[in-house]
Amino acid sequence: MDEKVGPSEMIVHLGPQHPMMPGPFRLNAKLRGETVVDSEVEMGWIHKGIEKILENKTYLQGITIVDRICYLAALTNEEAYVGCVEKLADIEVPPRAQYIRVIMEEFSRIQSHLLGMGEYASFVGFVSMFMYTIRDREDVMTLMDSVTGARVTHSFLRFGGVKDDLPEGFKDDVQRVFVNLRKAIDSYEELFSSDEIYRSRTVGIGVLTAEVAKDIGVSGPPLRATGVAFDIRRDEPYLVYPDLDFKVCVQKAGDVYARVQVRLDEMRESMYIIEQCLDQIPKGPLFPEGTAYGRRTPVMRVPAGEVFHRVEDPRGEMGFYMVSDGSDKPYRVKIRGPVYPTLQTLPPLLKGVKIADIVAIAGSMDTCTSEVDR
Amino acid sequence: MDANTMIDSLSTQFPDAVYDTKVGSNIRIFAKVKPESVKDVCTYLKKNLSFGHLCCEFGVDYPGRNEIEVVYVIGSYEHSVILTLKAILPRDNPEIESVVDVYWNANWYERETYELFGVKYLNHPDLKPLVLPEDMLGEWPLRKDYKGFPNKTARNLV
Repeated sequence: MDEKVGPSEMIVHLGPQHPMMPGPFRLNAKLRGETVVDSEVEMGWIHKGIEKILENKTYLQGITIVDRICYLAALTNEEAYVGCVEKLADIEVPPRAQYIRVIMEEFSRIQSHLLGMGEYASFVGFVSMFMYTIRDREDVMTLMDSVTGARVTHSFLRFGGVKDDLPEGFKDDVQRVFVNLRKAIDSYEELFSSDEIYRSRTVGIGVLTAEVAKDIGVSGPPLRATGVAFDIRRDEPYLVYPDLDFKVCVQKAGDVYARVQVRLDEMRESMYIIEQCLDQIPKGPLFPEGTAYGRRTPVMRVPAGEVFHRVEDPRGEMGFYMVSDGSDKPYRVKIRGPVYPTLQTLPPLLKGVKIADIVAIAGSMDTCTSEVDR
Repeated sequence: MDANTMIDSLSTQFPDAVYDTKVGSNIRIFAKVKPESVKDVCTYLKKNLSFGHLCCEFGVDYPGRNEIEVVYVIGSYEHSVILTLKAILPRDNPEIESVVDVYWNANWYERETYELFGVKYLNHPDLKPLVLPEDMLGEWPLRKDYKGFPNKTARNLV
């Protein structure tokens, strides 16, 4: 953005602390009257240096660190990290552990979308929706808590398996929660589609076209809302996703309303996936038999090599590039977060919109600054 | 088009610039590129082989070999092949052509690689730090010989 301010122009700084933002970043918007002429995103308030920290931790210690990249997607971050090590060390994950991972990752998608969508509704002034989604999210969190023992930073995955098996009666608990959650999602959809004020703030606002989105490298719900059916779970399947039946939720419009709609549909798909998993899950061990891998993996040396592994995060494509030099610590880890490109859509999208729509557009991206800064 | 055809097409188009090609599996291919022709190669990849999605771009430091590798992980929205393209730069003066004109989202990746590794990108529209404060420029914290900042920690301030 050009810092020079012309006549009847001014620069407004939104952030680093602002109600629209889940984490600190700064949006500098240059305004002419009420219209945004140009804008720029500034980062770095929550840079934790996770890539450097991981170089100084053993592989097992790294699992707890990658949780902290983004607490809403802790399990998918772990999946990407653990998947890298499993590819490098050639570890086969037993089927039961794979199913448990899919179940937990889909739960994490549901809770992330519930929070992101509810938060977003409160950004455009629909504050009571936030209370509804947080209430329903609590049931999902309790289910996750009953398996992993933690609510946000789970540290649940291990190399070759998972920490714990599903508890007794988990299937019944899930069914009980899902009955309520299905009703709740239907009612959210009805509220969103029938509320005139909400519709006039979201329909046709912040339209992202498929060409621009692909150019910027966007993935996840913001991309699928533009009509591109890009989903790592289907395009580059990992775990047991090839055996499961699910559809990639797509909307055509590309506006703010479509992004929220994609998240609603994805929650339904996730519930469907979890139900299939609970029906199909085989009995068996949680760790590959006859190997040293277990809940407490001894200090392990991973064969030298390089690997790129990507998974479908609640927000899009989460990829880890890991370089191993054969020691017990990774030589270099690059974290490719999905929000990193998504946040860069803001300057092109905000050009020419009114200042009141900035919050509606920026909030609908469901950004996680903690993940962008790492 | 499968992975083998892609890598053949790339090495026939750029016989001098692209070397050490390797097919890892049917969705992973690897190649190394001379730093001066990285932009031409990226343009060809995007136009002809539909590699339109830059997954990430970053540096890896090898003080033993006195080299810094700049790695481009390039995927696509049309097919699921991922190309890992590497350019090897000297560690004392790492300079490489920017690919922002080809891949719009390379902008932030290159700014980050610049502040963390000291790789200078030529013809980059706005090469300034992204996540670090301005006064840390020149310390290149993700290089392997970075010693932390013992003079700036709280212990020295109290």
